[in-house]
Amino acid sequence: MTSRLTQVPPGAQCFVGEEARQRRRIEETVVSVFEGWDYEEIIPPLFDYADVFAVEALASKTYSFVARDGSLLALRPDFTSLVAKVAAGRLLEREAPLRLYYSGEVVRYEPVRAGQKSELHQMGLEHLGGEARAADAEVVAIAAECLERLGVSGFVLALGHVGVFGGLVEAAGLAPERVLALRDRIESKDPAGVRQVLQGTGVSSVAAAAIERLTTLSGGLEALDPALEAFSSCAKARAALDELRTVAHALDAAGLGRHLAVDLGEVRGLDYYTGLVFRVFAPDLGFEVGSGGRYDTLVARFGRPLPAVGFMLGLDRVALLLERQGRVAPIPRRSPESVAASELGAGMAEAVARRARGARIRFGNGGWR
Amino acid sequence: MSLTVALSKGKLLAGSEALFRRAGLPFPNGDGRKLVVPAGELRFLLVKDMDVPTYVEYGVADCGVAGKDVLLETGADVLEPLDLGFGRCRVVVASPVGRAFAPDRAATTRVASKYAKLAAAHFLDRGLGVEVVRLAGSVEIAPGLGLADCIVDVVETGRTLAENGLEEVETVAESSARLVVNRASFHARRAEVQDLVARLQEASR
Repeated sequence: MTSRLTQVPPGAQCFVGEEARQRRRIEETVVSVFEGWDYEEIIPPLFDYADVFAVEALASKTYSFVARDGSLLALRPDFTSLVAKVAAGRLLEREAPLRLYYSGEVVRYEPVRAGQKSELHQMGLEHLGGEARAADAEVVAIAAECLERLGVSGFVLALGHVGVFGGLVEAAGLAPERVLALRDRIESKDPAGVRQVLQGTGVSSVAAAAIERLTTLSGGLEALDPALEAFSSCAKARAALDELRTVAHALDAAGLGRHLAVDLGEVRGLDYYTGLVFRVFAPDLGFEVGSGGRYDTLVARFGRPLPAVGFMLGLDRVALLLERQGRVAPIPRRSPESVAASELGAGMAEAVARRARGARIRFGNGGWR
Repeated sequence: MSLTVALSKGKLLAGSEALFRRAGLPFPNGDGRKLVVPAGELRFLLVKDMDVPTYVEYGVADCGVAGKDVLLETGADVLEPLDLGFGRCRVVVASPVGRAFAPDRAATTRVASKYAKLAAAHFLDRGLGVEVVRLAGSVEIAPGLGLADCIVDVVETGRTLAENGLEEVETVAESSARLVVNRASFHARRAEVQDLVARLQEASR
């Protein structure tokens, strides 16, 4: 039993000194960008009723516990649901669009592997209401500015739209369990796997070929043109691509084109996202640094129909990435003035006086009388 | 910087070499002791087959060649853009001849396998609560020695099974070699990765 006092549970984190300073600096940089785009900070609760977080993808990862009154509570596994609840609750009277940002920790049951941890620090924002395409573009532009200011080199914002997949699947009339299997194979860009899932479903060969193309349609912005051609017979997919193109062109016009990629195989979180989705990658880190997307139905769960878009960066991953890219300069500490006196009262008085002048002091050298 | 490719030192190595050479790509030469080998415009890591997906998932390698059986077992989050067509085999359930796995005895059935996750999923998905015994190798001797009632293992020709008095009962999964790609490399090093994928695709036709 005593070993529990020295052991660390897998996935728990602790940072000291220089590491903590680096994390604060990253947080300050990102928050200053959020503030610069006129987002307001929200500090949501650490826990809430488990129902608040009832998003399918998070259900199995949520730390939940029973309150004294028997209700089921949960530690926050993400911020978006909490922000949505507040936007639909105490900020109900506030006119849209609402621009809110957060920075803090979430906890998830997550096997420790490839960038996954049980305890992670997310810095993100939500843009609720407003003109949809403008909000989409704004959020991606903010993500890009954060990475730029952090000094990340070679980052890529891979843009997709769940409506392309959604439209094709709806037109094909596939059963839900097939859709799940299909999503998994498209997410892995596995054309052979897609063919296997579609085998014997009675989906026409034209429709099957279109779905399979989702695994290969990715690249620079130029990938949008063959996509429009490939999916021209599906109105919903075409509408989704038009949205994506509008956003991509706006960002390109702002000089962000070299950081943009199109990835129509980006179909994760389909039960949650309803439009644009994007993930942030950079050389030297094998997994995404952050991600975001449009979720037009989530806030309505809390009683206020409000389309929204948001994104978040993982502080832990940003810190790792900057270190890998050699972008971490040590943050010097001011060296302290030593305050010593032969008598404790006089020493304390001297310390308080120097602190009032703003000095960094180190109090005491022992041997007080 | 050149792309890093993770290769299995096991049964897929010969097929990988043939494919890379056909595609006009460099490939490490001979000396089996070196595990990190630069060759031409690529850098190769020679690792255990079960570890290939891990190196790629973490981005230590940008790409790799791994069997579908290994991908299913490890569940690594990697891209699988190409079925390379070689290394075809099947993961099957095999029982001692004449003593086929009986679903009504599932509760007392032990299944030995290197593919513990795959084996468990295969039975549990059908509501059969078998006990899976994880082994690192020589799985086919487990039933004869009384360690397990049946096994889940990979077969190519079926000869090893027959030699151990086993027969195939059902297929768990079909496998072949796949090109796997790290998610970040796919975007952050798009030009190089797409070139490699295109050349291997051409050569695997």
